[in-house]
Amino acid sequence: MKSLHHVLIGGLLALALGSAHAAPRVGQPAPDFSVVDTAGQTHSLSDFAGQTVILEWTNHDCPFVKKHYVSDNMQTLQRRYTEEGAVWLTVISSAPGKQGHVSAEQADALTRDRHAAPTAVLLDESGDMGRAYDARTTPHMYVIDAEGVLRFMGGIDSNPSADPADIPGATPYLANAARAVLAGDTPDPAVTRPYGCTVKY
Amino acid sequence: MTQIWRWIPLLLWLAPLAAHSDTDPARSGEVEALHIRAELFSDAQRVAPGDTLTLALRLQPDDGWHTYWMNPGDSGLETRIDWTLPEGAEAGPIQWPVPEKLPVEHLVNYGFEGETLLLSDITLPMDIAPGETLTLGAHARWLVCEIECIPGDAELSLSLPVGDLTELSAHTALFQRGRASQPQAVDWPATFSIESTWLEVTVAPDRTLNPPLQFFPGHTELVEHAEAQDITLNDDGQLVIRQPLNVYFHTTPQQFEAVLRDAEGAWALTLTDGAEMPPEPPAEAPPGTSTTVLLALLLAFGGGVLLNLMPCVFPVLSLKALGLARHGGHRPHALAYTAGVMVCFLAIAALLLVLRAGGAALGWGFQLQTPLVVGGLAYLMFALGLALIGIVQLGAGWMGAGEHLTRDTGLRGSFFTGVLAVVVASPCTAPFMGTALGFAVTQPAPVALGIFAALGLGLAFPFLLIGFVPALARRLPRPGPWMGIFRQAMAFPLFLTSVWLLWVLGRQVGIDGLSLALAGLVALALGLWLWGLSQLSQQQGRPRLRTAAALIMVAALWPLWQASQLKASASMMTDTDAGGVWTPDRLAALREAGEPVLVNMTADWCITCLANERVALDTDTVRAALTAGGVTYLKGDWTRQDPAITEYLAHYGRNGVPLYVLYPRGGGQPEILPQVLTPGLVRDALARAAAP
Repeated sequence: MKSLHHVLIGGLLALALGSAHAAPRVGQPAPDFSVVDTAGQTHSLSDFAGQTVILEWTNHDCPFVKKHYVSDNMQTLQRRYTEEGAVWLTVISSAPGKQGHVSAEQADALTRDRHAAPTAVLLDESGDMGRAYDARTTPHMYVIDAEGVLRFMGGIDSNPSADPADIPGATPYLANAARAVLAGDTPDPAVTRPYGCTVKY
Repeated sequence: MTQIWRWIPLLLWLAPLAAHSDTDPARSGEVEALHIRAELFSDAQRVAPGDTLTLALRLQPDDGWHTYWMNPGDSGLETRIDWTLPEGAEAGPIQWPVPEKLPVEHLVNYGFEGETLLLSDITLPMDIAPGETLTLGAHARWLVCEIECIPGDAELSLSLPVGDLTELSAHTALFQRGRASQPQAVDWPATFSIESTWLEVTVAPDRTLNPPLQFFPGHTELVEHAEAQDITLNDDGQLVIRQPLNVYFHTTPQQFEAVLRDAEGAWALTLTDGAEMPPEPPAEAPPGTSTTVLLALLLAFGGGVLLNLMPCVFPVLSLKALGLARHGGHRPHALAYTAGVMVCFLAIAALLLVLRAGGAALGWGFQLQTPLVVGGLAYLMFALGLALIGIVQLGAGWMGAGEHLTRDTGLRGSFFTGVLAVVVASPCTAPFMGTALGFAVTQPAPVALGIFAALGLGLAFPFLLIGFVPALARRLPRPGPWMGIFRQAMAFPLFLTSVWLLWVLGRQVGIDGLSLALAGLVALALGLWLWGLSQLSQQQGRPRLRTAAALIMVAALWPLWQASQLKASASMMTDTDAGGVWTPDRLAALREAGEPVLVNMTADWCITCLANERVALDTDTVRAALTAGGVTYLKGDWTRQDPAITEYLAHYGRNGVPLYVLYPRGGGQPEILPQVLTPGLVRDALARAAAP
């Protein structure tokens, strides 16, 4: 029992020393970023002041991402909310050599072939933006309001499966949140479980 | 292996066929999918009506690949089985094996590598007839990952003949392996609570567990899976496990499954919400048990004895004691004095209780929240000091120097000396004993009055001793010319007390008010001096001098009364330190935003508060910790009456200052800091509260 106690105290120390990685918080200003898109243009959060910004982390080879592209769910959401005035940024944080990493040309081809409609696709090769947002999975969704305050983060819907057939029966968290923020309301829930593949930093 | 790979397409094509063509009805035949093979087994090859049999889904991922537990962790997806069963048959939940912790980048998943056996119980209905064949279908869906993930599924089915008797299958060893991989179900008392930023689990195991210990919550988005678990033993021998809450935590479950693993085994627990039982409301003071009441009485008595040494009390009482010692018949005087002390103390206590019962938001120290009382006490101290110096000759009844002590006037005098002792002691009781007396006030009336009475008895105790123990009285120094010098020297502690009271007054009414009060003091001194002259003067001039002196002394009260109507400007009320001014709205707004806040409830007449600010709160260490943690520092000033602060104190079961409350980031239970602070203690507490 004595040795257990020592080990336990060791664990406590480890906890105290362990660094807690900072995640963004709903209700707080969203982390700023400066990332190039597929056209070589640099985008910052401050460029979109006054507009609702939706962030989508993606990895085209991830089955959970495929679920939402094969079903046309993601493209529909992109189209609907960019038409309603939101900025939709698709972010690729896969490191070179890892799954989901693409060149600017490949990314544009993916957008074209899948009939996707984001405002821009950001190439976050360094993973800096992904880490700033603590993006964990693909897909992982964020909604930022016109004042730059993070209003929603988490999973795109309530069914964490890779099966497109599950989409119609799931609660569309991202769609609800985007609609609320565009209407000036507070999303509920504002935080949902992100599900999918691990972001390949 | 390479040969097998070549045959995969054929195997896939044959798989559904295999389920039925195989001679063993207790296995479905293997389905090969990308990086994983799946097969269904039964522990019975012939079943009887009403049987409960167990089926096993065997998953065999490739080396380095894994599937997921019921809580997959930060990513991933748990394996699911959808059953297609004959009417009336029912399938139980998956009996999960003990998971492995699988770190991926900065995240952690819970899952299984190698052969994974997911067992489920199937209960068959009674109305199946021998001779029938039952078809049990399972649609298994999984996510298999190495670093990349591939979702897969398989339709698996078994056709089992129904007989009169159950016949076990040949797969006993497989089911034994499956059960051995599961945690052992136990009913150890286990609760959980969601604190501000972490999950806390308390488990009372019925045996000694051997490290390393690992805790697996079976509920998603409850904890940050990658964060270290803090596992300690509390005083009751229970395990207390803390892990930071998941960033995506949103709803507290009623209960959840969990697995606790040590070096030798693993146990399955069901955790219930420990917060279901409402915690004791902090505002209610615990009803005093007989022992705590006795202790409180003893402490109050000791405090009363100590009061005799306070700078405001000692000068008056030492002289009284010396005076008493010179004369015979001590006992009646000692008793009269004690009566005076007790009556006065109980009167103040009763007044306080009655006012509180009437709904007034008052706490102990309330006397000092009124500028008029503070100023009046300053005047009294100053006047007593002047009297000791010798500007006026006060009668025996007042100071009891003893010259004219007679039995009649002396007893009354002793009584009023007791009253005076309490009055002059009050600037000292409030700062040094405010907390203890504040506690007393929250107790039921008899207990509260008892504590005040014990305090009074303590204050009177030295006199009682002198009165009742002649030997002690004899040991006091013999009176002589030195007493005059001693008396004059004793004026200076009183002047100092007066300076302190004037400082408090200055904080309350500002520099203009303080100047008015000081002008009043000069007038008071003039009046006393004239009175002293009259005592020395010839018979004819005396009444006129006395009238003038009395008028001037009364007039001296006017500037004090004027001063008490003033209020210090805002800049005077708050220090120039980092502290913002506490208001209920401001605190509520910061709490709403999830900001960490340190609240300091203080008063200028509270010595403990001032000491804490000087020693701990106003140090570079704490200022740095406040800045680093982004903690907002709010200071509430109770130097003057403030019902909002009194209410706030009451919310935390307090009736006096100091009170330090630290609210952690992101909401949650505030922490009440001790009443004696050190910079390190405050810094550590701030770091805890500021942690996300």
